[in-house]
Amino acid sequence: MRKATLDADVVVIGSGAGGAVTAAKLSAAGRDVTVVEEGPWIDADAVEPFSLEEMAVKYRHRPAAALGAPSIAYAEGRCVGGSTEINSGLYHRLPGHLVESWREEYGIDEFDPDTLDAYARRIEEDLVVSRLPGAPPPSSALLERGATKLGWRSVEYSRVFRYDTAGRGVKQTMSRTLLPQAVDAGATVLPNCRVHRLLRRNGRVVGVRCRRTVDGVVEDLTIRADHVFVCGGAVQTPAILHRSGIRGRVGTGLKVHPMIKIAARFQHPVDHGGVPMHVVTEFGPNLSIGGSASRRGQVAMALAESSDNIEDALAEWERVSIYYAAIRAEGSGRVIGVPGLRAPIVTYRLTESDMSRLARGLVHLGELLLASGATELYPSVADGPVVRRHDELGAWWDSVTRSRASLMTVHLTSSVRMGEDRARTGADSFGRVWGCDNLRINDASLVPDAPGVNPQGTIMAIAARNSDHFLAES
Amino acid sequence: MLWFERQVVATLVSPTLDDQQRTAVEKYVDDSLRAMPEHLRAGVAAESVLFGAWPRVQRIFGGLDRRALDARVERWKASRFDVVRQYVRLLHSLVLFAEYELTPGAAR
Repeated sequence: MRKATLDADVVVIGSGAGGAVTAAKLSAAGRDVTVVEEGPWIDADAVEPFSLEEMAVKYRHRPAAALGAPSIAYAEGRCVGGSTEINSGLYHRLPGHLVESWREEYGIDEFDPDTLDAYARRIEEDLVVSRLPGAPPPSSALLERGATKLGWRSVEYSRVFRYDTAGRGVKQTMSRTLLPQAVDAGATVLPNCRVHRLLRRNGRVVGVRCRRTVDGVVEDLTIRADHVFVCGGAVQTPAILHRSGIRGRVGTGLKVHPMIKIAARFQHPVDHGGVPMHVVTEFGPNLSIGGSASRRGQVAMALAESSDNIEDALAEWERVSIYYAAIRAEGSGRVIGVPGLRAPIVTYRLTESDMSRLARGLVHLGELLLASGATELYPSVADGPVVRRHDELGAWWDSVTRSRASLMTVHLTSSVRMGEDRARTGADSFGRVWGCDNLRINDASLVPDAPGVNPQGTIMAIAARNSDHFLAES
Repeated sequence: MLWFERQVVATLVSPTLDDQQRTAVEKYVDDSLRAMPEHLRAGVAAESVLFGAWPRVQRIFGGLDRRALDARVERWKASRFDVVRQYVRLLHSLVLFAEYELTPGAAR
Protein backbone atom coordinates (compact mmCIF):
# COMPACT_ATOMS: atom_id res chain seq x y z
CA MET A 1 0.00 0.00 0.00
CA ARG A 2 1.19 3.49 -0.83
CA LYS A 3 2.47 5.49 2.13
CA ALA A 4 2.63 9.25 2.50
CA THR A 5 3.58 11.78 5.15
CA LEU A 6 2.44 15.36 5.58
CA ASP A 7 3.30 18.08 8.07
CA ALA A 8 0.92 20.58 9.64
CA ASP A 9 0.92 23.03 12.47
CA VAL A 10 -2.63 22.02 13.45
CA VAL A 11 -4.65 18.95 12.43
CA VAL A 12 -8.43 19.19 12.86
CA ILE A 13 -10.16 15.81 12.79
CA GLY A 14 -13.73 16.21 11.60
CA SER A 15 -15.35 18.98 9.59
CA GLY A 16 -18.77 19.46 11.20
CA ALA A 17 -19.97 22.33 13.38
CA GLY A 18 -17.01 22.08 15.78
CA GLY A 19 -14.28 21.24 13.26
CA ALA A 20 -15.31 23.87 10.71
CA VAL A 21 -15.36 26.66 13.30
CA THR A 22 -11.95 25.56 14.58
CA ALA A 23 -10.46 25.40 11.07
CA ALA A 24 -11.91 28.77 10.04
CA LYS A 25 -10.73 30.54 13.20
CA LEU A 26 -7.23 29.07 13.23
CA SER A 27 -6.55 29.49 9.52
CA ALA A 28 -7.83 33.09 9.64
CA ALA A 29 -5.23 33.68 12.36
CA GLY A 30 -2.51 32.45 10.02
CA ARG A 31 -2.06 28.93 11.38
CA ASP A 32 -1.23 26.08 9.02
CA VAL A 33 -4.36 23.91 9.32
CA THR A 34 -5.15 20.51 7.82
CA VAL A 35 -8.72 19.23 8.18
CA VAL A 36 -9.18 15.47 8.00
CA GLU A 37 -12.68 14.20 7.15
CA GLU A 38 -13.62 10.54 6.90
CA GLY A 39 -16.47 11.10 4.47
CA PRO A 40 -16.55 12.44 0.93
CA TRP A 41 -16.88 16.03 -0.22
CA ILE A 42 -20.34 16.10 -1.77
CA ASP A 43 -21.67 19.16 -3.54
CA ALA A 44 -24.28 20.52 -1.13
CA ASP A 45 -26.81 20.77 -3.98
CA ALA A 46 -26.13 17.31 -5.38
CA VAL A 47 -28.71 15.35 -3.41
CA GLU A 48 -32.18 16.08 -2.06
CA PRO A 49 -32.41 16.67 1.69
CA PHE A 50 -33.60 13.64 3.69
CA SER A 51 -33.71 11.46 0.56
CA LEU A 52 -32.55 7.88 0.25
CA GLU A 53 -29.63 9.11 -1.84
CA GLU A 54 -28.60 11.56 0.87
CA MET A 55 -28.64 8.75 3.41
CA ALA A 56 -26.44 6.67 1.13
CA VAL A 57 -23.75 9.31 0.63
CA LYS A 58 -23.83 11.60 3.67
CA TYR A 59 -24.82 9.41 6.62
CA ARG A 60 -22.43 7.27 8.61
CA HIS A 61 -24.63 4.23 9.13
CA ARG A 62 -28.10 4.01 7.71
CA PRO A 63 -29.42 2.03 10.66
CA ALA A 64 -27.38 2.56 13.82
CA ALA A 65 -28.61 2.31 17.38
CA ALA A 66 -27.46 2.95 20.92
CA LEU A 67 -27.95 -0.40 22.61
CA GLY A 68 -30.21 -0.52 25.61
CA ALA A 69 -33.81 -1.11 26.56
CA PRO A 70 -35.20 0.52 24.58
CA SER A 71 -32.48 0.94 21.97
CA ILE A 72 -32.29 4.42 20.45
CA ALA A 73 -31.64 4.81 16.73
CA TYR A 74 -29.32 7.68 15.94
CA ALA A 75 -28.02 9.49 12.89
CA GLU A 76 -24.61 11.06 12.22
CA GLY A 77 -23.26 12.83 9.18
CA ARG A 78 -20.20 11.37 7.48
CA CYS A 79 -19.19 13.86 4.83
CA VAL A 80 -17.39 17.19 4.56
CA GLY A 81 -19.51 19.47 6.76
CA GLY A 82 -20.55 16.61 9.05
CA SER A 83 -24.02 16.65 10.54
CA THR A 84 -24.62 20.27 9.46
CA GLU A 85 -25.12 18.80 5.98
CA ILE A 86 -27.98 16.54 7.06
CA ASN A 87 -29.72 18.35 9.92
CA SER A 88 -32.78 20.57 9.75
CA GLY A 89 -30.78 23.78 10.22
CA LEU A 90 -32.85 24.88 13.23
CA TYR A 91 -30.77 27.20 15.40
CA HIS A 92 -30.94 28.04 19.08
CA ARG A 93 -28.54 29.68 21.50
CA LEU A 94 -27.62 27.81 24.66
CA PRO A 95 -30.03 28.97 27.39
CA GLY A 96 -28.25 31.16 29.96
CA HIS A 97 -29.48 29.20 32.99
CA LEU A 98 -27.81 26.04 31.64
CA VAL A 99 -24.53 27.90 31.13
CA GLU A 100 -24.58 28.98 34.76
CA SER A 101 -25.58 25.62 36.16
CA TRP A 102 -22.93 23.76 34.10
CA ARG A 103 -20.25 26.25 35.14
CA GLU A 104 -21.03 25.49 38.78
CA GLU A 105 -21.47 21.75 38.40
CA TYR A 106 -18.34 21.02 36.35
CA GLY A 107 -16.15 23.95 37.39
CA ILE A 108 -15.85 25.47 33.92
CA ASP A 109 -13.64 28.58 33.83
CA GLU A 110 -14.61 31.68 31.84
CA PHE A 111 -17.97 30.17 30.94
CA ASP A 112 -20.80 32.65 31.26
CA PRO A 113 -23.89 33.62 29.26
CA ASP A 114 -22.48 36.96 28.06
CA THR A 115 -19.30 35.40 26.68
CA LEU A 116 -21.16 32.64 24.87
CA ASP A 117 -23.81 35.03 23.57
CA ALA A 118 -21.08 37.24 22.11
CA TYR A 119 -19.68 34.25 20.21
CA ALA A 120 -23.18 33.20 19.18
CA ARG A 121 -23.91 36.66 17.79
CA ARG A 122 -20.84 36.54 15.56
CA ILE A 123 -21.76 33.08 14.31
CA GLU A 124 -25.31 34.20 13.62
CA GLU A 125 -24.00 37.12 11.55
CA ASP A 126 -21.54 34.89 9.68
CA LEU A 127 -24.09 32.22 8.84
CA VAL A 128 -27.04 34.60 8.37
CA VAL A 129 -29.22 32.90 10.97
CA SER A 130 -32.73 34.13 10.23
CA ARG A 131 -36.42 33.42 10.28
CA LEU A 132 -38.41 32.32 7.29
CA PRO A 133 -39.70 35.40 5.47
CA GLY A 134 -43.48 35.25 5.10
CA ALA A 135 -45.90 32.63 6.33
CA PRO A 136 -44.65 29.29 7.64
CA PRO A 137 -45.38 26.12 5.62
CA PRO A 138 -48.57 24.22 6.57
CA SER A 139 -46.65 21.50 8.46
CA SER A 140 -45.22 24.18 10.77
CA ALA A 141 -48.35 26.34 10.97
CA LEU A 142 -50.23 23.26 12.21
CA LEU A 143 -48.03 23.14 15.28
CA GLU A 144 -48.60 26.81 15.99
CA ARG A 145 -52.35 26.48 15.46
CA GLY A 146 -52.66 23.49 17.79
CA ALA A 147 -50.58 25.22 20.47
CA THR A 148 -52.65 28.40 20.24
CA LYS A 149 -55.90 26.42 20.61
CA LEU A 150 -54.57 24.70 23.71
CA GLY A 151 -53.07 27.88 25.16
CA TRP A 152 -49.52 26.46 24.96
CA ARG A 153 -46.39 28.44 24.19
CA SER A 154 -44.76 27.85 20.81
CA VAL A 155 -41.95 29.65 19.02
CA GLU A 156 -40.75 29.83 15.48
CA TYR A 157 -37.08 28.85 15.54
CA SER A 158 -34.53 30.69 13.49
CA ARG A 159 -32.65 28.62 10.98
CA VAL A 160 -29.18 28.59 9.51
CA PHE A 161 -30.70 29.55 6.16
CA ARG A 162 -29.96 32.39 3.76
CA TYR A 163 -33.07 33.56 1.91
CA ASP A 164 -33.19 35.27 -1.47
CA THR A 165 -35.66 38.03 -2.38
CA ALA A 166 -38.19 35.41 -3.52
CA GLY A 167 -38.04 33.77 -0.09
CA ARG A 168 -36.14 30.70 -1.28
CA GLY A 169 -33.83 29.46 1.45
CA VAL A 170 -30.44 27.77 1.22
CA LYS A 171 -29.13 26.01 4.31
CA GLN A 172 -25.78 27.45 5.34
CA THR A 173 -23.97 24.20 5.96
CA MET A 174 -20.29 24.09 6.84
CA SER A 175 -19.36 22.97 3.31
CA ARG A 176 -21.01 26.14 2.01
CA THR A 177 -19.69 28.58 4.60
CA LEU A 178 -16.86 28.13 7.09
CA LEU A 179 -14.93 25.41 5.29
CA PRO A 180 -14.54 27.46 2.08
CA GLN A 181 -13.52 30.39 4.33
CA ALA A 182 -10.89 28.18 5.93
CA VAL A 183 -9.63 26.99 2.54
CA ASP A 184 -9.44 30.60 1.29
CA ALA A 185 -7.33 31.39 4.37
CA GLY A 186 -4.92 28.58 3.51
CA ALA A 187 -6.40 25.48 5.20
CA THR A 188 -6.25 22.10 3.49
CA VAL A 189 -9.26 19.76 3.64
CA LEU A 190 -8.60 16.05 3.12
CA PRO A 191 -11.88 14.18 2.45
CA ASN A 192 -12.15 10.36 2.40
CA CYS A 193 -9.50 10.20 5.10
CA ARG A 194 -10.21 8.05 8.16
CA VAL A 195 -8.14 8.52 11.30
CA HIS A 196 -7.02 5.23 12.81
CA ARG A 197 -5.29 6.66 15.82
CA LEU A 198 -3.33 9.51 17.27
CA LEU A 199 0.44 9.16 17.50
CA ARG A 200 1.77 9.98 20.98
CA ARG A 201 5.21 10.43 22.47
CA ASN A 202 6.15 11.57 25.98
CA GLY A 203 2.68 12.72 26.89
CA ARG A 204 2.19 14.69 23.71
CA VAL A 205 0.45 13.98 20.45
CA VAL A 206 2.89 14.13 17.56
CA GLY A 207 0.55 13.35 14.71
CA VAL A 208 -2.26 11.21 13.37
CA ARG A 209 -2.25 7.99 11.36
CA CYS A 210 -4.95 7.83 8.70
CA ARG A 211 -6.01 5.88 5.67
CA ARG A 212 -7.28 7.91 2.77
CA THR A 213 -8.59 7.20 -0.68
CA VAL A 214 -7.56 9.44 -3.55
CA ASP A 215 -8.92 8.68 -7.02
CA GLY A 216 -9.61 5.11 -5.96
CA VAL A 217 -6.11 4.55 -4.62
CA VAL A 218 -5.83 3.79 -0.91
CA GLU A 219 -2.84 5.11 0.99
CA ASP A 220 -1.61 5.09 4.57
CA LEU A 221 -1.09 8.69 5.54
CA THR A 222 0.79 10.02 8.53
CA ILE A 223 0.32 13.67 9.39
CA ARG A 224 2.90 15.08 11.78
CA ALA A 225 1.43 17.94 13.77
CA ASP A 226 2.21 20.29 16.64
CA HIS A 227 -1.42 20.43 17.77
CA VAL A 228 -4.42 18.18 17.21
CA PHE A 229 -8.11 19.07 17.61
CA VAL A 230 -10.49 16.12 17.61
CA CYS A 231 -13.90 17.24 16.36
CA GLY A 232 -15.55 14.01 15.24
CA GLY A 233 -18.75 14.42 17.27
CA ALA A 234 -19.94 12.82 20.49
CA VAL A 235 -19.61 9.25 19.17
CA GLN A 236 -16.52 9.34 16.96
CA THR A 237 -14.36 11.60 19.15
CA PRO A 238 -14.23 9.26 22.17
CA ALA A 239 -13.83 6.32 19.81
CA ILE A 240 -10.70 7.89 18.27
CA LEU A 241 -9.32 8.63 21.73
CA HIS A 242 -9.99 5.07 22.89
CA ARG A 243 -8.30 3.65 19.79
CA SER A 244 -5.31 5.81 20.70
CA GLY A 245 -5.15 4.47 24.24
CA ILE A 246 -6.64 7.56 25.90
CA ARG A 247 -9.38 6.65 28.35
CA GLY A 248 -10.05 8.30 31.73
CA ARG A 249 -13.42 10.09 31.64
CA VAL A 250 -13.64 9.64 27.89
CA GLY A 251 -16.77 8.10 26.39
CA THR A 252 -18.82 8.15 29.58
CA GLY A 253 -21.85 10.33 30.25
CA LEU A 254 -23.13 10.41 26.67
CA LYS A 255 -26.36 12.41 26.49
CA VAL A 256 -29.06 12.44 23.82
CA HIS A 257 -32.52 13.88 23.27
CA PRO A 258 -34.63 10.73 22.83
CA MET A 259 -37.59 11.34 20.54
CA ILE A 260 -40.88 9.52 20.24
CA LYS A 261 -42.92 10.22 17.12
CA ILE A 262 -46.40 10.32 15.69
CA ALA A 263 -47.40 10.10 12.05
CA ALA A 264 -50.45 12.37 11.87
CA ARG A 265 -53.04 12.18 9.10
CA PHE A 266 -54.91 15.33 8.14
CA GLN A 267 -57.87 16.09 5.89
CA HIS A 268 -55.71 18.18 3.60
CA PRO A 269 -52.26 17.77 2.02
CA VAL A 270 -49.24 18.85 4.07
CA ASP A 271 -45.88 20.01 2.67
CA HIS A 272 -43.08 17.41 2.75
CA GLY A 273 -40.03 19.30 1.51
CA GLY A 274 -38.50 20.42 4.78
CA VAL A 275 -38.80 20.33 8.54
CA PRO A 276 -41.29 22.51 10.49
CA MET A 277 -39.63 25.43 12.25
CA HIS A 278 -42.19 25.83 15.05
CA VAL A 279 -41.42 24.19 18.37
CA VAL A 280 -43.81 23.92 21.30
CA THR A 281 -41.91 25.08 24.39
CA GLU A 282 -44.77 24.86 26.89
CA PHE A 283 -43.17 21.91 28.70
CA GLY A 284 -39.55 23.02 28.32
CA PRO A 285 -36.74 22.64 28.99
CA ASN A 286 -37.24 18.92 29.63
CA LEU A 287 -39.83 18.24 26.94
CA SER A 288 -40.21 19.86 23.53
CA ILE A 289 -42.50 19.16 20.60
CA GLY A 290 -41.72 19.76 16.95
CA GLY A 291 -41.81 18.34 13.43
CA SER A 292 -39.63 15.88 11.54
CA ALA A 293 -38.67 15.16 7.96
CA SER A 294 -41.72 13.61 6.31
CA ARG A 295 -40.82 12.39 2.85
CA ARG A 296 -42.83 9.52 1.44
CA GLY A 297 -40.40 6.83 2.63
CA GLN A 298 -40.27 8.27 6.13
CA VAL A 299 -44.05 8.47 6.29
CA ALA A 300 -44.28 4.79 5.27
CA MET A 301 -41.81 3.76 7.96
CA ALA A 302 -43.50 5.88 10.63
CA LEU A 303 -46.96 4.52 9.86
CA ALA A 304 -45.68 0.96 10.00
CA GLU A 305 -44.27 1.48 13.51
CA SER A 306 -47.66 1.13 15.14
CA SER A 307 -49.75 -0.93 12.80
CA ASP A 308 -49.66 -3.00 9.66
CA ASN A 309 -53.07 -1.83 8.62
CA ILE A 310 -51.77 1.28 6.94
CA GLU A 311 -52.88 0.93 3.33
CA ASP A 312 -55.46 3.73 3.57
CA ALA A 313 -53.09 6.17 5.20
CA LEU A 314 -50.29 5.28 2.82
CA ALA A 315 -52.50 5.83 -0.20
CA GLU A 316 -52.98 9.38 1.10
CA TRP A 317 -49.41 9.88 2.28
CA GLU A 318 -49.46 13.52 1.11
CA ARG A 319 -51.86 14.17 4.02
CA VAL A 320 -49.57 12.59 6.58
CA SER A 321 -46.78 14.39 8.41
CA ILE A 322 -44.46 13.27 11.22
CA TYR A 323 -44.04 15.08 14.52
CA TYR A 324 -41.98 14.35 17.62
CA ALA A 325 -41.80 14.83 21.37
CA ALA A 326 -38.17 15.02 22.58
CA ILE A 327 -36.99 14.89 26.17
CA ARG A 328 -33.87 15.81 28.11
CA ALA A 329 -33.10 12.39 29.51
CA GLU A 330 -31.86 11.75 33.03
CA GLY A 331 -30.22 8.57 31.83
CA SER A 332 -26.91 8.52 30.03
CA GLY A 333 -24.80 6.32 27.82
CA ARG A 334 -21.31 5.20 26.91
CA VAL A 335 -19.19 5.12 23.80
CA ILE A 336 -16.63 2.33 23.70
CA GLY A 337 -14.02 2.21 20.96
CA VAL A 338 -13.02 -1.40 20.43
CA PRO A 339 -9.75 -2.26 18.70
CA GLY A 340 -10.49 -4.05 15.44
CA LEU A 341 -14.03 -2.70 15.10
CA ARG A 342 -14.61 0.25 12.78
CA ALA A 343 -17.67 1.40 14.69
CA PRO A 344 -17.66 2.01 18.43
CA ILE A 345 -20.21 0.31 20.66
CA VAL A 346 -22.74 2.85 21.90
CA THR A 347 -25.02 2.08 24.83
CA TYR A 348 -27.73 4.14 26.51
CA ARG A 349 -29.85 3.64 29.60
CA LEU A 350 -33.13 5.48 30.09
CA THR A 351 -34.51 5.79 33.62
CA GLU A 352 -38.12 5.04 34.63
CA SER A 353 -38.62 8.79 34.86
CA ASP A 354 -37.39 9.16 31.26
CA MET A 355 -39.88 6.52 30.09
CA SER A 356 -42.66 8.31 31.93
CA ARG A 357 -41.62 11.64 30.41
CA LEU A 358 -41.67 10.07 26.94
CA ALA A 359 -45.19 8.74 27.53
CA ARG A 360 -46.27 12.19 28.70
CA GLY A 361 -44.63 13.69 25.62
CA LEU A 362 -46.49 11.29 23.35
CA VAL A 363 -49.85 12.13 24.94
CA HIS A 364 -49.19 15.90 24.79
CA LEU A 365 -48.11 15.58 21.17
CA GLY A 366 -51.31 13.67 20.45
CA GLU A 367 -53.41 16.39 22.11
CA LEU A 368 -51.65 19.04 20.06
CA LEU A 369 -52.10 17.24 16.75
CA LEU A 370 -55.80 16.56 17.36
CA ALA A 371 -56.22 20.23 18.24
CA SER A 372 -54.48 21.16 15.00
CA GLY A 373 -56.95 19.11 12.97
CA ALA A 374 -55.36 15.67 12.65
CA THR A 375 -57.86 12.86 12.09
CA GLU A 376 -55.64 9.84 12.82
CA LEU A 377 -52.50 9.47 14.90
CA TYR A 378 -50.04 6.58 14.47
CA PRO A 379 -47.53 6.49 17.38
CA SER A 380 -44.00 5.08 17.06
CA VAL A 381 -44.93 2.30 19.45
CA ALA A 382 -45.13 -1.33 18.35
CA ASP A 383 -48.82 -2.20 18.17
CA GLY A 384 -49.62 1.17 19.72
CA PRO A 385 -53.28 1.94 19.18
CA VAL A 386 -54.15 4.37 16.40
CA VAL A 387 -55.93 7.33 17.98
CA ARG A 388 -58.74 9.34 16.39
CA ARG A 389 -60.29 11.12 19.38
CA HIS A 390 -59.03 12.91 22.45
CA ASP A 391 -60.56 10.37 24.85
CA GLU A 392 -58.50 7.58 23.22
CA LEU A 393 -55.16 9.19 24.10
CA GLY A 394 -55.14 7.63 27.56
CA ALA A 395 -54.40 4.23 26.03
CA TRP A 396 -50.91 5.46 25.16
CA TRP A 397 -49.86 5.91 28.79
CA ASP A 398 -49.38 2.18 29.21
CA SER A 399 -48.16 1.45 25.70
CA VAL A 400 -44.84 3.34 25.97
CA THR A 401 -42.76 0.50 27.38
CA ARG A 402 -39.12 -0.41 26.95
CA SER A 403 -39.96 -3.25 24.59
CA ARG A 404 -42.51 -1.40 22.45
CA ALA A 405 -41.36 2.21 22.16
CA SER A 406 -39.41 3.03 19.01
CA LEU A 407 -37.08 5.93 19.77
CA MET A 408 -34.53 7.88 17.82
CA THR A 409 -32.25 10.86 18.25
CA VAL A 410 -30.22 13.24 16.15
CA HIS A 411 -28.63 15.15 19.06
CA LEU A 412 -25.69 13.44 20.78
CA THR A 413 -23.49 15.29 23.27
CA SER A 414 -21.40 15.11 26.47
CA SER A 415 -19.16 12.08 25.91
CA VAL A 416 -15.98 13.98 26.93
CA ARG A 417 -17.24 16.73 29.24
CA MET A 418 -15.24 19.89 29.83
CA GLY A 419 -14.45 21.54 33.17
CA GLU A 420 -11.91 21.67 35.92
CA ASP A 421 -13.45 18.87 37.99
CA ARG A 422 -11.16 16.07 36.88
CA ALA A 423 -13.31 13.40 38.49
CA ARG A 424 -16.19 14.24 36.15
CA THR A 425 -14.59 15.62 33.00
CA GLY A 426 -12.34 14.35 30.22
CA ALA A 427 -10.98 17.74 29.20
CA ASP A 428 -10.30 21.10 30.83
CA SER A 429 -12.45 24.22 30.54
CA PHE A 430 -11.20 24.84 27.00
CA GLY A 431 -11.24 21.30 25.62
CA ARG A 432 -7.63 20.29 26.37
CA VAL A 433 -7.59 16.55 27.11
CA TRP A 434 -6.33 15.84 30.61
CA GLY A 435 -2.77 14.56 30.51
CA CYS A 436 -2.09 15.57 26.91
CA ASP A 437 -1.26 19.26 26.56
CA ASN A 438 -1.44 19.63 22.79
CA LEU A 439 -4.55 17.50 22.23
CA ARG A 440 -7.87 19.29 22.26
CA ILE A 441 -11.48 18.37 21.68
CA ASN A 442 -13.78 20.95 20.14
CA ASP A 443 -17.18 19.49 19.38
CA ALA A 444 -20.46 18.24 20.89
CA SER A 445 -18.53 15.88 23.17
CA LEU A 446 -17.55 18.81 25.41
CA VAL A 447 -21.12 20.06 26.02
CA PRO A 448 -21.64 18.98 29.66
CA ASP A 449 -25.26 17.87 29.29
CA ALA A 450 -28.06 17.68 26.75
CA PRO A 451 -29.06 21.29 26.10
CA GLY A 452 -32.75 20.60 25.45
CA VAL A 453 -32.52 22.59 22.21
CA ASN A 454 -30.86 21.99 18.84
CA PRO A 455 -27.18 21.89 19.81
CA GLN A 456 -25.51 23.30 16.66
CA GLY A 457 -25.45 26.89 18.00
CA THR A 458 -24.04 25.68 21.33
CA ILE A 459 -21.33 23.58 19.68
CA MET A 460 -20.27 26.44 17.41
CA ALA A 461 -20.15 29.04 20.18
CA ILE A 462 -18.07 26.79 22.46
CA ALA A 463 -15.77 25.84 19.56
CA ALA A 464 -15.19 29.51 18.70
CA ARG A 465 -14.46 30.35 22.36
CA ASN A 466 -12.00 27.46 22.70
CA SER A 467 -10.28 28.34 19.42
CA ASP A 468 -9.71 31.89 20.63
CA HIS A 469 -8.31 30.54 23.88
CA PHE A 470 -5.92 28.30 21.94
CA LEU A 471 -4.77 31.21 19.76
CA ALA A 472 -4.21 33.43 22.78
CA GLU A 473 -2.21 30.71 24.49
CA SER A 474 0.01 29.35 21.72
CA MET B 1 -27.67 -10.44 2.77
CA LEU B 2 -27.80 -13.91 4.23
CA TRP B 3 -30.15 -16.58 2.85
CA PHE B 4 -32.92 -16.06 5.35
CA GLU B 5 -32.70 -12.28 5.12
CA ARG B 6 -33.21 -12.57 1.35
CA GLN B 7 -36.26 -14.76 1.93
CA VAL B 8 -37.80 -12.36 4.45
CA VAL B 9 -37.10 -9.32 2.27
CA ALA B 10 -38.63 -11.10 -0.72
CA THR B 11 -41.73 -11.67 1.38
CA LEU B 12 -41.91 -8.07 2.55
CA VAL B 13 -41.42 -6.40 -0.83
CA SER B 14 -44.69 -5.31 -2.43
CA PRO B 15 -45.93 -7.80 -5.04
CA THR B 16 -46.83 -4.88 -7.30
CA LEU B 17 -43.16 -4.04 -7.97
CA ASP B 18 -41.52 -5.12 -11.20
CA ASP B 19 -38.24 -7.03 -11.23
CA GLN B 20 -36.12 -3.92 -11.62
CA GLN B 21 -37.79 -2.16 -8.71
CA ARG B 22 -37.60 -5.29 -6.59
CA THR B 23 -33.88 -5.56 -7.29
CA ALA B 24 -33.37 -1.89 -6.36
CA VAL B 25 -35.18 -2.38 -3.04
CA GLU B 26 -33.21 -5.55 -2.27
CA LYS B 27 -29.97 -3.77 -3.08
CA TYR B 28 -30.88 -0.91 -0.74
CA VAL B 29 -31.58 -3.33 2.10
CA ASP B 30 -28.33 -5.18 1.39
CA ASP B 31 -26.33 -1.92 1.35
CA SER B 32 -27.99 -0.76 4.57
CA LEU B 33 -27.17 -4.00 6.37
CA ARG B 34 -23.56 -3.69 5.19
CA ALA B 35 -23.43 -0.10 6.45
CA MET B 36 -24.51 -1.07 9.97
CA PRO B 37 -21.93 -0.99 12.77
CA GLU B 38 -20.23 -4.40 12.88
CA HIS B 39 -21.59 -5.38 16.29
CA LEU B 40 -25.18 -4.60 15.27
CA ARG B 41 -24.75 -6.42 11.96
CA ALA B 42 -23.33 -9.43 13.80
CA GLY B 43 -26.41 -9.51 16.02
CA VAL B 44 -28.79 -9.37 13.06
CA ALA B 45 -26.75 -12.02 11.24
CA ALA B 46 -26.91 -14.30 14.27
CA GLU B 47 -30.69 -13.87 14.41
CA SER B 48 -30.91 -14.63 10.70
CA VAL B 49 -28.98 -17.86 11.14
CA LEU B 50 -31.06 -18.85 14.17
CA PHE B 51 -34.47 -17.95 12.79
CA GLY B 52 -33.59 -19.30 9.36
CA ALA B 53 -32.35 -22.72 10.48
CA TRP B 54 -35.72 -24.49 10.57
CA PRO B 55 -37.11 -22.79 7.43
CA ARG B 56 -33.93 -23.85 5.63
CA VAL B 57 -34.43 -27.46 6.63
CA GLN B 58 -38.08 -27.24 5.59
CA ARG B 59 -37.10 -25.70 2.27
CA ILE B 60 -34.59 -28.48 1.57
CA PHE B 61 -37.24 -31.12 2.16
CA GLY B 62 -39.89 -29.24 0.23
CA GLY B 63 -41.99 -28.31 3.24
CA LEU B 64 -41.80 -24.53 2.93
CA ASP B 65 -43.32 -22.75 -0.01
CA ARG B 66 -43.58 -19.00 -0.53
CA ARG B 67 -47.09 -18.80 0.95
CA ALA B 68 -46.06 -20.56 4.14
CA LEU B 69 -43.09 -18.23 4.56
CA ASP B 70 -45.30 -15.18 3.92
CA ALA B 71 -47.66 -16.34 6.65
CA ARG B 72 -44.81 -16.96 9.06
CA VAL B 73 -43.29 -13.50 8.51
CA GLU B 74 -46.74 -11.96 8.93
CA ARG B 75 -47.12 -13.72 12.29
CA TRP B 76 -43.63 -12.65 13.36
CA LYS B 77 -44.50 -8.98 12.82
CA ALA B 78 -46.78 -9.22 15.83
CA SER B 79 -44.81 -11.80 17.80
CA ARG B 80 -44.90 -11.54 21.57
CA PHE B 81 -41.14 -12.13 21.54
CA ASP B 82 -39.43 -8.75 21.17
CA VAL B 83 -36.40 -10.13 19.42
CA VAL B 84 -38.51 -11.81 16.73
CA ARG B 85 -40.77 -8.82 16.21
CA GLN B 86 -37.85 -6.40 16.06
CA TYR B 87 -35.99 -8.57 13.57
CA VAL B 88 -38.88 -8.43 11.10
CA ARG B 89 -39.56 -4.77 11.82
CA LEU B 90 -35.96 -3.80 11.04
CA LEU B 91 -36.11 -5.44 7.63
CA HIS B 92 -39.64 -4.14 7.06
CA SER B 93 -38.56 -0.54 7.78
CA LEU B 94 -35.72 -0.77 5.28
CA VAL B 95 -37.99 -2.32 2.65
CA LEU B 96 -40.72 0.27 3.17
CA PHE B 97 -38.34 3.21 3.03
CA ALA B 98 -36.74 1.96 -0.17
CA GLU B 99 -40.06 1.07 -1.80
CA TYR B 100 -41.58 4.44 -1.18
CA GLU B 101 -38.48 6.41 -2.06
CA LEU B 102 -37.27 4.42 -5.04
CA THR B 103 -40.54 3.57 -6.68
CA PRO B 104 -42.92 6.51 -7.04
CA GLY B 105 -45.74 4.32 -8.37
CA ALA B 106 -45.52 1.61 -5.75
CA ALA B 107 -48.57 0.93 -3.65
CA ARG B 108 -49.08 -1.92 -1.27
